Amino acid sequence: MSDMVTVRLFGMTKSLAGTQASLSFALMDGQRVKDLVELVDKAYPLIGELIQKRKVLVSVNHEIAQDETQIHESDEIALLPPFAGGR
Amino acid sequence: MEGETTSTPAMPGVQDDALLVRVQREDFSVDAEINRVRCRSKRIGGVSIFLGTARDRSKGRDVDGITFEHYEGMAQKKLREIRERALKDFDILELLIVHRYGDISIGENIVLIIAGAEHRAEAFRACKWAIDELKQITPIWKLEHTPSGEVWVEEHP
Repeated sequence: MSDMVTVRLFGMTKSLAGTQASLSFALMDGQRVKDLVELVDKAYPLIGELIQKRKVLVSVNHEIAQDETQIHESDEIALLPPFAGGR
Repeated sequence: MEGETTSTPAMPGVQDDALLVRVQREDFSVDAEINRVRCRSKRIGGVSIFLGTARDRSKGRDVDGITFEHYEGMAQKKLREIRERALKDFDILELLIVHRYGDISIGENIVLIIAGAEHRAEAFRACKWAIDELKQITPIWKLEHTPSGEVWVEEHP
């Protein structure tokens, strides 16, 4: 059985997904960030490319995740474009 | 009537910690925030501040206004981490961070860092480190409104 995980979008990733605030993907509990990135890449190749280039980072539970980070059902996941805090 | 910050007791309190790291839509008073830091310790002898404001020009383009978007929860968490690390790694007595989100007009306040220390050198160092670190690790995004359209700002200055 796979669960739907919700991925929150911000800034330019939101624009690239047609101004949607979040996306849903079917993942098995315990699958990894790299598995999610594959699904993102299939659905939104422009976002996938930015993730591959490390311009967009994946966060899990408010921390930057690595390819091997496991994803569980209740995790909060987001795609983070480059930060630009106020200057 | 006393102001909201001047009525704060001179002794540090747990309830004040949340006010020392904030992400908020509304503007802030630099004076009130300086007082908030000074109230934390009578040993403070040097206060350094960084105030970021909205410029009307960016990379050769005119800018009419800016919208800041933040990741609620993660932004606050990262700012709290910056405060805690600054308190641990520098010889300072307090560090305050306030960042605004939403629509900001040219000339308005965006971000404020205040470091309070016994002496100025550590206050300056901690303040500079904190704003540099904020830009590196805090999930806040900047949309510049220009005459030719909207641009998400990517790179760090």
